[in-house]
Amino acid sequence: MGTNPEDMLPLTPVAFEVLLALTAGAAHGYAILRAVEARSAGTVSLHAGTLYRALARLVDAGLIEEMEGRAEEGGDERRRYYALTPLGRSVARAEALRLEAQVGAARAHGLLGGAGSP
Amino acid sequence: MTWPERLYRALLRLYPAAFRLRHADEMTRVFRERLADASAKGSGVRYLLETVWDVVVNGVGERLWALRDDLRGGGGMDGWVKDARYALRTLIKNPGFALVAIVTMALGIGANTAIFSVVRGVLLAPLPYDEPGELVVLWGEMRNRDVLHFPSSPPDYRDYRDRADLFEGLSGVFTFQIALTGDGEPEQLDVAAVTSDYLTVMGIQPMLGRGFVAEDGVPNEPGVQPGAPGALPTSVILSHPFWQQRFAGDPGVLGRTVALGGAPAEIVGVMPPGVTLLMPPEAALEARPDLWMAARIDFANSPRNNVFLRLVGRLRDGVTLQQAQAQIDGIAASLAADDQVKTTAGYGMRVGSLHTDLTAQVRPVILSLFGAVVFVLLVACANVSNLLLARASGRTREMAVRAALGGSRGRLLRQLMLESVLLSLAGAVVGVALAAGGIELLLALRPDDLPRVQEVGLDGVVLGFTLASAVVAALIFGLIPAMQGSGGALGEALKERGQIGSGRGRKVLRNAVVVGEVSLSLVLLIGAGLMVRSFVALSSVEPGYDAEGLLAFNVAVPFASYPQPSDRALLADEIQRRLSEIPGVTAASAAFPLPLAGQLMNGRYGPGEALTDPEAFRQANYRAVLPGYFEAMGTRLVEGRTFTRADMADSLPVVVVDQILARTLWPGTSAVGQRFLIRAISPEPEWVEVVGVVEHQRSESLAVEGMETVYIPDRFMGSLASSWVVRSSLDPLSLVPAVRAELSRVDGDMPLADVRLFTDDVEGAMGATRFALTLIGLFGAIALALASVGLYGVLSYLVRQRTAEIGVRMAFGAEASSILGLVVGQGLGLAGAGVALGLVAASLLTRFMESLLVGVTPTDPLTFGGISGVFLAVAALASWLPARRASRVDPVVALRQD
Repeated sequence: MGTNPEDMLPLTPVAFEVLLALTAGAAHGYAILRAVEARSAGTVSLHAGTLYRALARLVDAGLIEEMEGRAEEGGDERRRYYALTPLGRSVARAEALRLEAQVGAARAHGLLGGAGSP
Repeated sequence: MTWPERLYRALLRLYPAAFRLRHADEMTRVFRERLADASAKGSGVRYLLETVWDVVVNGVGERLWALRDDLRGGGGMDGWVKDARYALRTLIKNPGFALVAIVTMALGIGANTAIFSVVRGVLLAPLPYDEPGELVVLWGEMRNRDVLHFPSSPPDYRDYRDRADLFEGLSGVFTFQIALTGDGEPEQLDVAAVTSDYLTVMGIQPMLGRGFVAEDGVPNEPGVQPGAPGALPTSVILSHPFWQQRFAGDPGVLGRTVALGGAPAEIVGVMPPGVTLLMPPEAALEARPDLWMAARIDFANSPRNNVFLRLVGRLRDGVTLQQAQAQIDGIAASLAADDQVKTTAGYGMRVGSLHTDLTAQVRPVILSLFGAVVFVLLVACANVSNLLLARASGRTREMAVRAALGGSRGRLLRQLMLESVLLSLAGAVVGVALAAGGIELLLALRPDDLPRVQEVGLDGVVLGFTLASAVVAALIFGLIPAMQGSGGALGEALKERGQIGSGRGRKVLRNAVVVGEVSLSLVLLIGAGLMVRSFVALSSVEPGYDAEGLLAFNVAVPFASYPQPSDRALLADEIQRRLSEIPGVTAASAAFPLPLAGQLMNGRYGPGEALTDPEAFRQANYRAVLPGYFEAMGTRLVEGRTFTRADMADSLPVVVVDQILARTLWPGTSAVGQRFLIRAISPEPEWVEVVGVVEHQRSESLAVEGMETVYIPDRFMGSLASSWVVRSSLDPLSLVPAVRAELSRVDGDMPLADVRLFTDDVEGAMGATRFALTLIGLFGAIALALASVGLYGVLSYLVRQRTAEIGVRMAFGAEASSILGLVVGQGLGLAGAGVALGLVAASLLTRFMESLLVGVTPTDPLTFGGISGVFLAVAALASWLPARRASRVDPVVALRQD
């Protein structure tokens, strides 16, 4: 069982989005979905089937866990809440670093303008 | 629960039960809220479709995930082989079932393969030039006059060529016909005249000899005609077929001189086979020139309003269309600034990709057909899926026994999927054979303007597509039955003895599959119905001429022998006189160009105010005609008179106009005797007088009305008319020998070319519609047949299952008619649901075929209603047969059955 975060990379875009959404704190599925769509300014539209399947996979992999009881704000009992595990947090961080390195490479090749162009 | 929610809950059954238990409630809530949001924004239907896709993909994916270890395991490679062998044995044991499934899949896959070969050859395969993605076409536009595909003048071309430095090269091309004389029979040739850099721009290398060099394009001294003393020789390159046909492939032709239109031309090269002039149909060029000529164009002395060059260029590496367009826009603006006509016409130049523009007209037809065959394949999948579901209920016990003997669920699933893949692959093999024949059929039916047909065929890419579609199809039709067959309550199945149907789930699935295939077929049939309506509309168009009984042909006048317009006028007069005297000929005349001939001559016209307000100019087609043209064409005279020989003799500026022009310039009053301005032959607009008004002739296509037309006496245009029509009460083709004899009596060096019935041109103009109609109709019929078989199968099965129940009902006194009603009602219920779903889908999809339709809207209520009615009638018939069987059940026999 790989506890080394790098072994789990790269993440699928949806998985990474979910982990990002949970860095702010525990949330239920619908809240995660809205957070993802809000951040992408509507360019990503995530459907329930994709989201809940991703959640199930992330729980299996130990990156997130289902919370006991309800979260604050007098939430809804019937909803399941999810939170990042420490492993999930470090995997998300490792993925972010990997993406950053790729963006850096793209910049170096002049794709984004700026540094590196001859 | 609302019906979308109910549908959603039903779809969630695709997920494994454990997943469903945990998440279904929350997912339904998310779905409800999202659907409400989407509906408020008016995108509810779209959201529903996306959701269905989302749930199907993820649900099936989740199930496969749960089985991944089982699927992978199960005895390694050895196990796969064993399973495949077992699957094959199972299929062979049940040949009837296998045959039906294979034939069904062969129809679906074969149709897909055939159409995909066209998609690949025409739309996808790169053009046969070096780096074809860099090739672009430049189109002149006069946006204030709705003219979009205008050629360019030589000086304008030179300005673009010299100033557009984002282009690696920019060349010009035009085509014409000319007589080849001396050295055997005179022959009329199609010639592509090109600027000397054309071959370099396109990346074409001659097979023999050399390409054109700059010297080949150096203009003659001003005023010196080709062939006159002191004129430079013309350099030509032969096309491969013409070299074979005229010179028997003799490599010694290089350096030989032939007479073209009476002027000498030196053969400097021979093209490789397969080189054609690929240009979009709007350019109205001859696609298969017999020879290529380096045009000697005097850029310095050519007027800017003499437009005939089509521009094709190559962009430098990495230059985008947008960048090229921006640069061309700048040059166009500076040209327009110097030219009042360009400014008022809204002059511009559009840069288009050669490949995109070449296929723009046929793309909607091909993609509609591709959509249609994908539907046929899905309907075929639905049918086979239903067959498998029916068979699975008979195999419940086999599966249960295998499971009890230690076969894991994944292993059973793999087993069943292998059967499906084998069926599908066998279908693909038969399908490829069908496709080979189908491609022949396609090419025989193809519209004339379908470019690149020689590249349509079965190659590796097409066969790869066939293989991929077979595998995907196997997944589509096999997965649900396999999941049903391999899973479920095994213990129960053993107890149940596989006798009375197996549970509600399977029935719901089978019904859903039938509803799906009914709706898919309905969409196809509605598409076919719309094409039928278009075809009828096109057939009943009044084109403004009577094509029946007309013989058409071209006469190539050797210009060197008849250099002056007056010489040519006398010649035309002589030809007309002789043709009219042939027994059986009722009228003979000529024009340039003829309607539907794919040639173009247009220019400005306007009322007198246009002299002070140039924006009053509009664009019209011009047609140079001899007297008797309207009589020969059967075009109705509306007002005034047609041309007489007197109009030809002294080139009086009198014209005949069509009704559209008359209505535009003089609404509500008579046009005869009115004067207006035309820009046809002289550089500046000149006054002409209207002597007659005729009905409008459809010229570019039958489907659209087209531009207004001005008819000008041929003499006035310089005596160019070379497209002849001869009307006869006899079979027009029987006149050909007499026509040929009369022409050679006038001049032995004057070849006759493109001899055809004018009805062929009209048929050709209906080609694309006929093509789409035939194929979509064929696919619709296949789908309808498959769907009715599917419906029949489901209902027969249902009746078999309910025999005991029906027996009880009858024993208690139910009338045969009520049993009949029960079963037919069930069939119509399924068909009705499918029709409703199909109507929704069709109303969303038919808009993609809008450009194929003539005289009918994509959501034509008559078609939608009529086809639904036909479909329900077929469904009633398909239900009636099993229903009748049910109503004849003998209660005693039925009840005794177990």
